[in-house]
This record gives sequence, structure tokens and C-alpha cells, in this order.
Amino acid sequence: MDIDFRNQLLPCVSVFAWIFGILLVLMFVANAHFGEAISGFLNGAFGGRNLAYLLTTLSRATLIVGMALAVMISFRAGLFNIGGEGQLVIGGLAAALVGVYMPGPGWLVMATGIVAAMAAGGLWAVLAGVMQLYVGVPLLIGSLLLNYPARYLGSYLVGHPFRDVASGLPQTHLVPNEAWLPLFSGTRLDMGILFIALMSVLAVIYCNSTVPGYRARMNGLAPEFARASGLPVKRIVLQSLLMSGAIAGLVGALAVFGLHHRFTDGMLVQPLYAWTGIIAVLLVGMVPWAVPISGFFFAAIQTGAAGMERTADVPKEIGLIMQAVIILFVAGRISGVSLAGKSGENDNGH
Amino acid sequence: MQVDLSGVTVRFGTLTAVDNVSLHFSPGEIHAVVGENGAGKSTVMNVLFGLIKPAVGTIAIDGAEMQWRNPQDAIARGLGMVHQHFMLQDSMSVLENIVLCSEPVSNLGFVKFNTARARLREIAETYGIGVNPEKRIADLSVTERQIVEILKVLYRDAALLILDEPTAVLTPQEAASLFQILRNFRASGKSIALITHKLDEVMEIADRVSVMRAGKLISTKPIGETSKAEIARGIIGGELPASLTRATQAVGEVVLAVDGLQARGVGKTVGPVSFDVRRGEIVGIAGISGNGQTQIIEALVGLRATTGGQASLLGHTLRGLDVGARRALGMSYIPADRQRVGLALEAKVSENAAIGREGTKAFRNWLFIKRAAMTSFARELIESYHIKVAGPNARTSSMSGGNKQKLIVGRELSRGTPLIIAENPTWGVDIGAIDFIHRELIRMRDAGHAILLVSTELDEVLALSDRILVLYENQIAGEFAAADADRLAIGELMTSRSKVVQVA
Repeated sequence: MDIDFRNQLLPCVSVFAWIFGILLVLMFVANAHFGEAISGFLNGAFGGRNLAYLLTTLSRATLIVGMALAVMISFRAGLFNIGGEGQLVIGGLAAALVGVYMPGPGWLVMATGIVAAMAAGGLWAVLAGVMQLYVGVPLLIGSLLLNYPARYLGSYLVGHPFRDVASGLPQTHLVPNEAWLPLFSGTRLDMGILFIALMSVLAVIYCNSTVPGYRARMNGLAPEFARASGLPVKRIVLQSLLMSGAIAGLVGALAVFGLHHRFTDGMLVQPLYAWTGIIAVLLVGMVPWAVPISGFFFAAIQTGAAGMERTADVPKEIGLIMQAVIILFVAGRISGVSLAGKSGENDNGH
Repeated sequence: MQVDLSGVTVRFGTLTAVDNVSLHFSPGEIHAVVGENGAGKSTVMNVLFGLIKPAVGTIAIDGAEMQWRNPQDAIARGLGMVHQHFMLQDSMSVLENIVLCSEPVSNLGFVKFNTARARLREIAETYGIGVNPEKRIADLSVTERQIVEILKVLYRDAALLILDEPTAVLTPQEAASLFQILRNFRASGKSIALITHKLDEVMEIADRVSVMRAGKLISTKPIGETSKAEIARGIIGGELPASLTRATQAVGEVVLAVDGLQARGVGKTVGPVSFDVRRGEIVGIAGISGNGQTQIIEALVGLRATTGGQASLLGHTLRGLDVGARRALGMSYIPADRQRVGLALEAKVSENAAIGREGTKAFRNWLFIKRAAMTSFARELIESYHIKVAGPNARTSSMSGGNKQKLIVGRELSRGTPLIIAENPTWGVDIGAIDFIHRELIRMRDAGHAILLVSTELDEVLALSDRILVLYENQIAGEFAAADADRLAIGELMTSRSKVVQVA
């Protein structure tokens, strides 16, 4: 971590400086009052009456950080699983169906729904792994393409067999009230964030201190090395994907039981949780403890942009442009990292 | 053309790679530059060729000071470099490769291949070398590729040829014919800079020799005023390590039995090959790289599927076992490519040291890894294998090539398995590390381990092996006992299908 830390910090600082600069220019273009916009942004992200906006940010951060953790687990193992979206949707579907149709006490329905969502998301990710190991479909492609069946399976199921026709929208019936995630008293923030906080801690422990975490990282750093050293490479692949997909499935379940209380077509896809999660991981170079912070940061940008629109009439698209700028910085940094890797390969002092 | 490098200093960050070095290359002279890996000789050549800008120092041609912006400038002024690793486009013809980037172009923008062909013929006649210009590079032998590289330089009218380790991939016979070509160049008044670490070659062909060590020029002398021993002392900065001694010993039972093993190679099948390795012997496989060594090793280690035949370790068949299972059965593996296969460069030294052991009791506590055990194990390896590194928590990429290799060797040999497979175990490491690794391998042999050594360095195979197998075109072309191993006979088998198969 000592080495990682210095390598991570400096680029982050410069990224923030650039973002701030670009923000300034954009404000100027949008003809906004700068101070107002900034205070609108900060208030939108961290303020509000009774800190209502901060809670919104936290609620959004819950889902983004969850997806980021899922991505980190597979990326660290060298598995470019970009199918988080599909795994999230499948998990959400499983949770909603269990939530709506399973009889029994509320807590049991919720617990079963969460387990079912994790299993479904995990298996969806493993499917991409199996396709890579046994059919030869590269994971990058397989996991990406599996997003589409997941998405349209969701659209079909909530649009036809399981549709709440009376609501007029393509969505399931509501999960019964007893099975909702409880709220923190006096707020509208549900307790899903606790699951993700726990998951963050577990993920850090997994990455830094466990045997499977060590093996997965060695595989991620040098796959041929892992193979030649006799590590169980296939197991690493499937195990990492199972964990990654299960976390994505959990996020789906938290969105259902905590936020929406039903599955509405597109509710997990439109906000781009999965993709934001990927960017959040790449921004901090897969350093486990920094991932939750990075996820929170992206959530704050999104809610802050909405706040800026409300108070300063700065379109929230400015916020989205900012996010896009960050992505570009991330992309630049990634190629920078791989170039550094290349020069490091030369070990003979030539 | 007289080329002078004066007072060149190159710094990479805080490291001074080359420190105030002056070298002079005169027409009609072969000037050898020798030194260990990392001594700075390649860096100096890269300065000369415009690939690196020196912090201090000048390059002068016939007394006029030059400023290279890039290698194109250097090429335009008559410098030519033949790199150690061929830079040729495999799917294109010899002619296309040679004219690339200096094509004769007609007014309409077409390449005038006939003009190029005529010019090439002229060069071939002048120096007595030639390759069919219509052949594809992929169909050429290694020597022919080397000649194409040289032709490429001559085509551009180079007056100073820089050759970086030109004989690394050649057999003794091929090296001899390359030297003949170099002598022709010398006779025609060209300057030649020869970078090498083979002192026999230096003594045979060079007119002048410069020794570099740790970025500094130690000496420059005409070959007549120095000796092999003096050069060697200059290279390592002290006395040469005592030569290896190998006591003859009785071999034990068969550890590795390979029977008709076949594996898929590049374009065609490798094998079938059959051989045994017994307790207490080193079996060396000699051959030019690309003759099936990689495939055979990978098939034995479990990294590549076999397509026929079988192998067994201590009587257990290896069929159907993955790498982990084979290693558990009693196999260790020192891979040729330490950068990608031997180590995870971005991980800590301790993480690289413990790989393959993380599942054992000593390193694992239920789900958790014992970091303290990993660290102390790495410290043990660092001490017993004399690895120079900041500590167990240093990043692996911070080590030099020789120390990286020692880490791999230490990790694998300390497992103490009955079978050790070593693939080019000293490739690209310094003399001190080579000697150390050789002694460790011999120590393991003396202790009764079976060692399969694969090396493209014939001297290494000769120095270490009790028996030598020669690979040529994916087959075993011959076998020698150490006592009757003859350099030239082996060299001949390395390049042509066996005339005489000698069975030891």
C-alpha cells in the first residue's frame, strides 16, 4: 500500500485541479454566477434541509460503491468483467420476484431476496467466465454481450408476465411493506448502505489478507506467472467472477428492497450505476480502500450537478460533461500506466 | 570515417548509467566493447545511434561535431546498427524489408524494386554475402535473418556498423562465417563496433577492445597489448571466479521418463522425443532457440497440451495433471522469461517468493495469508541466495536482472523437488550471477536431484551437463556423454539433420 499510495495521490490531485479549471471555463460559457453555482453544487451534494441532499448522495453512493467493489474484485484478478450491468439487472430481477411473490415474514422475504439476487448475479458472471474458459469467448466480449440478454429479459418479464398492469408502467408489483429495508430514523436513507459498508470492509480484507485474494492479484498482475507457478487459474477466474457478480446482484437487491421497492424497467440501467462503478475503480487504480471514497465522489458529482441546476440555473449536463472529462483523464492515466510498465520491463540497464 | 564519442555521460533519473565515456572508432578497424549486462555498453551505443541524448558529451564524425535529433540523423550520416533482437517484418520479403524506409521511389510514387534489386546485387558481390531477395523472412534461418539485418545497414551506405551481440543466436559455424563477413568489411575500410560478452570472439576478431564496468570505461587497448584474463578482470572488477568443477558420480533411478512425447509447435508438431533424466545428473538440451525447446518444456511443465506420447515423474504419469499437480508431485521450474513467467514484477519480493507455497500450512491460516511468514521466508531467500534488494517488501521490478533470476532460482531450488527443469537459467544476467546459478545447479545435482537444463547458450550446456541432447527442427538430432561432447560436432547437429547419431 505504501508504494501504491504515492502513485495514486499525485495524479488524483492533478486530476482535481484540472477538473476545477475546466469547471470554471464551463461556468463561464454557461454564463452562470460562479459562486452561486459552486454553493449550489456543494449544497446539492452535501447539504439540504436536515442534510436531505447528503442523504440522497449517500443513497446513490451505496449503489455506485457496490458496483465499484464488484468491478474491483474482478479487475484485480485480471478479469475484465464489464458485465456488471447485466449482473446487477439479473440480481434486481431475482430480488423483485422473490420480494413480490414469496409468502412469509418480511425479514425472511428480504433475506431470501438478497441471497437469490446474489446467487443470480454471481451465476450470470460465472456464465461469462465459463464461456471464456471452455468456449473461448474473451471475457471482455462475453461479459459485455451478456448485458443485453439480461436487460431485455428484465424488460420482457416486467413488461409481460410479471407486469403490474394497473400501474401503467412496465414494472412489477410493489414489494410488501414489511420486506422493505428499514430507514434510518427521521431520514429517507435506507439501511442498504450498511451492507455496502460491510462489503467494503470485507473486500479490503479479501484483497489484502486472504489466500484467494493474493492468488487473484498475482493472476491479475502476471497471468502467465500465475499459471506457471501452478496456481489454480480456472478456479481463480470462476471464484472471482462469482464474487464480483454476487456483489452486483446484492446491489440490485438493495435497489429493490431499499430504494424502489419494485423492479421498473430500466431503473438499474438508466442511471449507469455499473459504468460509473468501473470509472470509480479505474480512477483510483484498483486500490481497495480508495474505491468506496471514489464511488462516493462520483455520486456527489451527480447529485451536486442536479443541485447546481436547481439553484444557479447551470444545466446539469455541465456536471455530466465534468464526469466525462474525468473519464478522459482516467483513460489517459491508464495508458500512462501501461507505458510506465513497458519501460519498467527493461531490466538489464540497456 | 572516424567517429569519436567524447566524455559521454547519461543519467536515468538519479542513476548514472554511463559516466564520462570516450570511445573512438576508426576506419578499417573492429572495435569490441565488452562488459557485463548493465555495464552501459548498449546505452553508449544508443547514444552513438541517436536513440538516447547524453547529459554531457559530444559525438564527432571526422572531427565535426554532430547533434542527433533521432536515429534517422545518424543513419543519414553513415551509422548503421544491427540490433540483438531482429527487427524484421516476417510476412514481407527480404527485399521489402531491406528497402523499408529508404525505398527508391519513381516520379509517380511507385517503389522502384528493380533499382533496389540491382543495388543489393552489387552489395552482395562486394562483400560476398547474399540472400535471395524474394524470400519471405519467415522462411529464413536465423543466420540468414542476421545477414538481412546487415544488408539493411549496408544498403543505407553505413560506414560504421554497430553490432549488438551478433552471435547470440548463432552456432559456432555460423559465427565463423559472420566473422568472415566482418573481416571483409574491415578490408573495405568500414569501422565496426562489436558489442559482445564472449571474450573468445573478441580475441579472435577484434583489433581494439574497450572494457566497461558500471557505466565507466575501464580501458581501451589494442588486442595485441592485452589478454583474455586481463579483459575478464576488467569486466568483473576482480579475479575471475574459479572454474566449475563437476565430480563424476553414479546416477540413480529414473526421475523423469519421456516417451515419444509430442506437442503442437509453430506450424508443425514438436517431437516425438524420448529421453530420461536420472537422479544425480544434469541432462542438457542444446539447440538454437526455436527448435522445439519451448514446446517440450511447456508440455512437461503442463503449460501446453501434448498431442502424443507421454511422460512420467517418479513413475507417476503426468497425463491429465495440471501445473499445480505436477509441481506437487515433485517438479520445479525455472522459466526462460523471468519478466512475465518467472515473476510478477509489480508485486512485492515476498509475494513473488511465496508463490506456490501460499496453500501450505506455513503460509496459510484458514482463509488468511500469513504475511509475517511470507516476509521472513523472503528474507531467508535473500540471504541464502545473496540477492541484492532493498528488502522483502520492495517492489520486484526494482531488482536487476541477475537478482531477479536469483530470486526465481532460490524460490524453485529451495523446494527441493526430485526434478528441476531450468530453461535458459542465466539468460541476460551478469557473470557473478551466472557463476552462482551454475554452482547452485551443480550443488543440487550432487545432492541427488535430477536436472533438465535447456539452454541456447552452448557453453552453458557444455559446462554443466552430464549428458547432452541436441535439438534440431523439433527432433532430438543426437546425444552425447559429457566426456565425448565436442563443440563442433554439436554445432553441426544444431544446424543440420543428423549425419551421425551418436548414442552415449
